[in-house]
Amino acid sequence: MKIDRRSFLAFGVGGAVGTAITPLPWKLMDDSSIWSQNWPWTPVPLDGAINYQPSVCTLCKGGCGINVRKIDDRPVKIEGLKANPINKGGICLLGLSGLQLLYGEDNRVKSPLKRVGKRGSGKFKKISWQQAITEMVEKLGAIRLKAQSHTLACISETELGTTASLIGRFMTAFGSKNYIRTPSFLDSLEAAILKTTGTSAAQVAFDFENSDYILSFGSGLLEGWGSPVRMFMANSALEDKKGTLAQAEPRLSNTAAKADKWLPVNPGTEADLAFSMCAVIIQKALYNTNFTAAATGLEGFKSFVTANYAPEKIAKSTGIKAEVITRIATSFAKAKNPVAVCGKGSGDTPGSLKESLAIVCLNALVGNINKKGGLWLTSEPDYIKWPEFINDDASTAGLQKNRIDSAQSGKYKDTRFLLNNFADAVLDDYEYPVNALMVYRANPMYTMPDSEKVKKAFEKIPFVMSFSSYMDETALYSDLILPDHVFLERYEDIPFASGYTKPYIGLARPVVDPLFDTMNTGDVIIQIAKRISNSIAGAFPWKDYETCLKETLGSMWAQLESQGFMTDQSYTPPSTVNFTFPDKIADAPAIEGDRGKYLLTLVPVDSIRINCGYIANPPFATKTVDDTVLFENDILVEINPATAKSLGLRDRKKAVLETPKGKASVRVFITDGIMPGVVGMPKGLGHFGYDSYIADKGVNVNALIGSLEDPETGLDAAWGIRAKLSPA
Amino acid sequence: MKDFHEKKYGMVIDLDKCTGCGSCMVACMSENNVPFKEDETKKRLSITWMKVYKFTNGKSFPETEVCYLPRPCMHCEGHGGHSPCVSVCPATATDYSTETGIVSQIYTRCFGCRYCMGACPYHARYFNWWDPVWPKGMEKQLSPNVSPRMRGIVEKCSFCYHRLQLAKEKAYSEGRREVRENEYQTSCTQGCPAGAITFGDLINPKHEVYKLKKDQNAFRLLERLGTNPKVYYISSREWVRRAGDNYLAHEKTGKKQNH
Amino acid sequence: MSDSDEKNGQSGIITLFFILGFIGSLLLGWIIFPELLYSKKEQPVAFNHALHNEEVANGCESCHFFREDGTFSGVPKLAQCVECHEEPIGVSEAELTFVTDYVAKGREVPWLIYSKQPDMVFFSHAAHVKMGKQDCVTCHGHIGESTSLKPYEENRFTGVSRDIWGGNIAGISMDSWDSMKMSDCDKCHKELTGRQTSVQTQRDACFVCHK
Repeated sequence: MKIDRRSFLAFGVGGAVGTAITPLPWKLMDDSSIWSQNWPWTPVPLDGAINYQPSVCTLCKGGCGINVRKIDDRPVKIEGLKANPINKGGICLLGLSGLQLLYGEDNRVKSPLKRVGKRGSGKFKKISWQQAITEMVEKLGAIRLKAQSHTLACISETELGTTASLIGRFMTAFGSKNYIRTPSFLDSLEAAILKTTGTSAAQVAFDFENSDYILSFGSGLLEGWGSPVRMFMANSALEDKKGTLAQAEPRLSNTAAKADKWLPVNPGTEADLAFSMCAVIIQKALYNTNFTAAATGLEGFKSFVTANYAPEKIAKSTGIKAEVITRIATSFAKAKNPVAVCGKGSGDTPGSLKESLAIVCLNALVGNINKKGGLWLTSEPDYIKWPEFINDDASTAGLQKNRIDSAQSGKYKDTRFLLNNFADAVLDDYEYPVNALMVYRANPMYTMPDSEKVKKAFEKIPFVMSFSSYMDETALYSDLILPDHVFLERYEDIPFASGYTKPYIGLARPVVDPLFDTMNTGDVIIQIAKRISNSIAGAFPWKDYETCLKETLGSMWAQLESQGFMTDQSYTPPSTVNFTFPDKIADAPAIEGDRGKYLLTLVPVDSIRINCGYIANPPFATKTVDDTVLFENDILVEINPATAKSLGLRDRKKAVLETPKGKASVRVFITDGIMPGVVGMPKGLGHFGYDSYIADKGVNVNALIGSLEDPETGLDAAWGIRAKLSPA
Repeated sequence: MKDFHEKKYGMVIDLDKCTGCGSCMVACMSENNVPFKEDETKKRLSITWMKVYKFTNGKSFPETEVCYLPRPCMHCEGHGGHSPCVSVCPATATDYSTETGIVSQIYTRCFGCRYCMGACPYHARYFNWWDPVWPKGMEKQLSPNVSPRMRGIVEKCSFCYHRLQLAKEKAYSEGRREVRENEYQTSCTQGCPAGAITFGDLINPKHEVYKLKKDQNAFRLLERLGTNPKVYYISSREWVRRAGDNYLAHEKTGKKQNH
Repeated sequence: MSDSDEKNGQSGIITLFFILGFIGSLLLGWIIFPELLYSKKEQPVAFNHALHNEEVANGCESCHFFREDGTFSGVPKLAQCVECHEEPIGVSEAELTFVTDYVAKGREVPWLIYSKQPDMVFFSHAAHVKMGKQDCVTCHGHIGESTSLKPYEENRFTGVSRDIWGGNIAGISMDSWDSMKMSDCDKCHKELTGRQTSVQTQRDACFVCHK
């Protein structure tokens, strides 16, 4: 008997035959297909009960109602809240991306941080809240001891609402007037309203919903201006009633694309165009005599505009033919409820007083101020009524000093905030140095023009402190970061919606427990205040932020808590307005840059798809950005084919863009949607903070532009800068 | 002839109202667990079930006009449910339902041959060249109602079919067989801030889309290919309607064609 | 020995080896393989369905209920258990463990779900129970009458519960609840609904049960 090869073969064959009649191969075959369909690394989202929690979005000043869908306790989607009067269920792409701003760990500041490396190096060490607050108290206490209370400054996106008011109160109790709000188109409109009506406490709003003719001077009505979702809805309503949207803008923006009439106006001449339309309306006697009869100064205004802004006279400079100006002005004046609007792009630059005055006058001529479908002067929210407090000597002394930004006194006594002066003030030591800066809901290192100068100013301030929830540019340059909860983790009152006509208060509510070791800024302020000095502590009688908020909202709390908002939809503004037409208007400052050296004009381009405010674009939103705006890490600037031809530039190819403020490597996108001689540069790119989903993509347009001081208001009147573009 | 569908879900998109904001794209991504990468600028590799296209009338400044066009999956009916992609799928991974008119895509069934992508004239289908990676913390946003995808398979718009599944559950638990018009709406429809998208049953006279698809300015993309898509567009601009298909110079757009 | 003897002997050995291989593979395939394929885990808490069923008013739906939106709650959350078991109400050791380890600590019980389908499956309890009037037993068997929980067996390869393929390794199911593969769902759908809404397969459409 011999066991040989054949025996093993027999064993093998027997095994094979046997195996074939066992489940083994068939089961394994089935299993392997299941295995390959369900890789263990493909995430399986946890199931649970679907529930919705209403709140308000605070990612911009729109005040939209949101409905957060949760699986058990885990938010999975943000939707628009149907019941909310502002957005009625609609939502913008930033709001829809909101959860990425909650969950994105690489962007969130997860605990208090203290800088250990060089400024901007991003080297921080984690500290406890107790230690963080002690550091703040010591730093600020030392400043007070040296009788330098006034050298504390604060930059914030808003001065309204409970948290901002707490900070404002803290500043006052501390002894500093230097609470500086970031700029808005409303600032300049406010000044124009003050000049023409003498009203200073008014908030400007536009009744787009009831207008049948919207004449916009460069406002990105569909680019994020005002309350964005409301604007989209208003545009659709206008479409439904066959109304007219006319857009004066050098570029075919989304708004211009949707407009019934696109007026490609030379950049910077919008005010001239508006005054020219005033001239037409006056000349053709199309103005509302009821309104003008009650107003004063029409004669002076008449002679001023007819002498200087006759359509034939300004056709050349604006690039709009005289007959077009006449036609548009006529149809505007003949419309039932026309409204003219300004505020370039998404409205975060004030623009010149001349421009604001021009559109206020246009609205006045057609008699629509405080009328259906017109421009409304609504009252500011006034529910924050806190008891007076007594300043001690240190703060009284501090409050005697002028503001660092030159606002509220002297030449600019009627302007409330002048952030555009801040960097210069710090660098030139206007009257005194800035020894400490707090930044709340703002990212000045990124959003302020002339980034290089801002950086220098920041480097000069000995102590910078940020409340940012995100590792943004300003946070990177801070000495201390005391991270706030994000909007889905905290209570917050939203006192108004930008540009909206009806009184509105929203209440953002925590829809999820704070994910990280963050603290509500209101609480931080209260805790610091209680520890710096007795007199400051006296101004803060509340145990914590939530107590303060509930007390502040008083009887409104119950309804806000259950519904998320309160509004008075029946509100109408006072029908009588004491209007005075201006009889002379100061010229807007000239654009920066030598025309001989810089042949082109650079204008920033706002897009609803790229958030350019203090929060960087979340990944979902960035994903929607066209490859004609961003390609790989290169920004594309728009130019007309004629411009490209004259400069020898080719589509999508690299070029060097240079302005008096700086130089950048870009690609060009050649399009007929922009006028020759103009370069359109997207805003909101070129971050160096945040994670790799947005950082180092493109160039920050603020690095290439500067600010221009309006001669009357002091506000930033810049809308662009001279530039040159050459092949790389 | 009676339609062989029980329901025929479809969409009418008013291009006069669409502002090109892109909310529909994000509404879709955040609803359907669509992944994202650091660089999404190579658009052919960028998974966007709903994509807003921008096109112009081709005229030079200042006569240029722009139109934005959101493009979901068209859920082509073809002839008798033989849509271009369904006809070529060797894996039965994509299928046409006569119950809803929806073209389904079962990711686990797909083996990634990409025939369907070649067959689709609308570029509505996307291939997963990589396994999706969510940045730290962001996988918490994933919804359990839509199955996350893996490398090597094709995905596309499902008309938010899971929302119909959930709406049906609710209806059933209330003893109803029928899902109401407002109970089943896609995420893009719901999110569109301009109210440009309308969704519903194209063969139900009570539904809004039934009326809208008959608008004199309604058209479908590449209608004459015979794909029989279920997404209608409305534009008052002739050049936009012409851009929706290939027309000879003398041909006019409009309703005269079969549909 | 003659040549032929040797040949016979040799062929006998070959046959023997064939039979050895044959029997060995049968043993492997039918007995060892299933043992190796599945891992066994005990449930975290010894649970007595029968006992609970006696105590509750509304049968299975007392704990496994439909939510208001029509979705099915599945395995109860701790909060539900706490409604009765804030403190131990019996004397059993299992309950004591449950109360001290989970209730007192506020920890969810990591129940292992026998009938859990892979992620791509959408199963509507409402469709089957509310509309289709199926009872729980049809798919879940008599688990509601059991006094103890069997060990949870998980396929080492796919991570799927053994109950989906079914206890019988050959995939033969005697009762309707024995296995819950796509073919099982499909069989029932075909028999009971007769629907042919899929253009490709002439059966129920894919999106009926997939997500």
